[in-house]
Amino acid sequence: MLEFTCLIPIFTGIIAMFLPVRFGRGILVVTALLHLQLTIMAWLGKITPGLPQYFSASPDGLLVLLVTSFIFLFISIYAVSYMSETEIQSEPIYIGCTLFFLATMSMVALADHLIVLWIAIEATTLMSAPLIFLNRSKSALEATWKYVLICSVGIALALLGCFFIILAMDIGNIQVPISFSALSVVATQLDPMWLKAGFIFLVIGYGTKMGLAPMHTWLPDAHSEAPSPASALLSGALLNCAFLGVYRSHQLLYKAGLGDFSGNILIGFGLLSMLVAAVFIFNQTGYKRMLAYSSIENMGIIAFGVGIGGLATYGAMLHLIHHSLIKSSLFLSSGNILLGYGSKLISKTGNMAKVFPKTFTAFFAGFAGISGFPPFGIFVSELLIILGAFQKGRTISISIFIIALVLIFAGASRLVMKMSFGKWDDEILVDENMARVLPSYALLLTSIILCVWMPDNLYQTILSAIATIGGSSNG
Amino acid sequence: MIAFSNALLALTLLSVLLSLASHRLVALVKIMAFQGIVVSLIPLFLEQHMTIGSIMMLQVMILIKGFLIPGFIYVAVKKIKIRREIEPIIGYHASLFTGLIFILISAFIADRIYASQSLPGEHMLLMITAITTLASGLFLLMARYKAITQVIGYLMMENGIYLFGTALAKQTHTQYIVEFGVLLDLLVGIMIMGIVLNNINSTFDDVDTALLGQLKE
Repeated sequence: MLEFTCLIPIFTGIIAMFLPVRFGRGILVVTALLHLQLTIMAWLGKITPGLPQYFSASPDGLLVLLVTSFIFLFISIYAVSYMSETEIQSEPIYIGCTLFFLATMSMVALADHLIVLWIAIEATTLMSAPLIFLNRSKSALEATWKYVLICSVGIALALLGCFFIILAMDIGNIQVPISFSALSVVATQLDPMWLKAGFIFLVIGYGTKMGLAPMHTWLPDAHSEAPSPASALLSGALLNCAFLGVYRSHQLLYKAGLGDFSGNILIGFGLLSMLVAAVFIFNQTGYKRMLAYSSIENMGIIAFGVGIGGLATYGAMLHLIHHSLIKSSLFLSSGNILLGYGSKLISKTGNMAKVFPKTFTAFFAGFAGISGFPPFGIFVSELLIILGAFQKGRTISISIFIIALVLIFAGASRLVMKMSFGKWDDEILVDENMARVLPSYALLLTSIILCVWMPDNLYQTILSAIATIGGSSNG
Repeated sequence: MIAFSNALLALTLLSVLLSLASHRLVALVKIMAFQGIVVSLIPLFLEQHMTIGSIMMLQVMILIKGFLIPGFIYVAVKKIKIRREIEPIIGYHASLFTGLIFILISAFIADRIYASQSLPGEHMLLMITAITTLASGLFLLMARYKAITQVIGYLMMENGIYLFGTALAKQTHTQYIVEFGVLLDLLVGIMIMGIVLNNINSTFDDVDTALLGQLKE
């Protein structure tokens, strides 16, 4: 029963809402452990879906599930310490919604049915909206309003995309279940025009959720207004889930022989996202917003890599894993910074290297990692994407890609330098502590370890996930 | 029966144009209720033979689209005591004109779709109405400041998608999926937005998203 990965968090979430806060925090960590255990069992093939017409354990889904489950464990450990430090109103609701959020994300990862996937992605919006609104401030309200409205419009357009794909089935006179696995078998008989139209709407719809420009406008606000553990979840897990929706649609088009069409659209959106991030990151005033723009950039990189195909697809999948690890670690560090300085503005921070040495180590290492320095995994993944693009002869797009990377590094490093070594002589509000630094370290360490040693099981799963769109690890 | 469904479609188009030009919120909510009922009645006049299930579904759709959600919005409008959209981003006459242009464009698109595909041409007007409603909903969403008007725009967009589903998914098993999807989407979108609206209300005195301008670059 693979569905337990969704059912258990729902169940424990309901319990946590009615229990005192102390128990709730315990439940959060216990559920995270249980979830990770179930996920690993699913990886080893010990459990299979109970409703195979709606759910399946596809390799790409399993990959996203594992990443989600893994970072959720560390985020929940961090959250326990974070919540005891800050005054979070209605903490049971926070714990409950976090668990529901995990449940809906697991559902996205496992969904095989077109409409079930759509419902699951819609549900992630619903479950994460209370997390963003947690502070109940004016700006949190604005962020939530934008998030819900923009994502609802996106999800409505994605539904239209689903209709178009079903219409493509009807015109081809095919009677199969409306699931990705069944559709990809008969993909060549689907009507190409409606399939293309469906893909465009699905990319716009799920791309809104994924943070692809120009539909990204909700993302910086939501990520900066949510409490840091929730931002880490949004950036590290939710964006991947939305990407999975796009990836599944791309797989379908590739199977139908329209891979070039969908690939080019993904490349276009990917490059645009990177350029937008490069422009906006330059003058950011808040460090969480800076990280949010970096998420937009990285989602752009993943879309670009998948669009290129071949070796770059392998790079994109690696990028997905490492981005989740490093970015969630960065958001967790940003939570410490927020607690310590009491402000989200870069101008109110400074001299982190002296004041918060442990957090500084995690934040700076994370920044080096996200910018693509070895020994972190993003170095490898970006290199593979660039090599893959050269193999395919995409010289113009790869030059835009590299220019955007350089610009983003230049823009962000200026801000990070200011935060790390700038002048600052004020009182610190909350001192850092080990419980809130170790999760960040652990996530960064995982990225380094995966860079030098990757379990064979993981490697094979990535290969079978990308094999469906013609990707491989040796070009 | 085709003629009757055409009359309903014409009414839908009329309601779209009216909603673009109306500046009193209560009137806007009433128009939306009317539009909801008309839109959910349309499948009744298109289906060749209806099963018990689809008739039941129709009742549910009328209840939700025509009464429940407009009712919610009406309560919200009364509660926060706003009567009109004071300064729309795009004026009413311009909005109305845009609506007319949308009709022209959608007629063009629908014509192209039906010319290139071997779809039955009898649903041409349905397709035109669907695209117009969808586009006008999006337009309303973007052209107004008030949170409530944005929700109404979203609702109209949903109606458009529902019509689209009915126009396209004629022949086969897809009927239920159209209804199920929109059902959930509607419920969900409005419920959460209702909650958010409630909070907007208690945080400030005015439900004006122009006040929500703190977060920008």
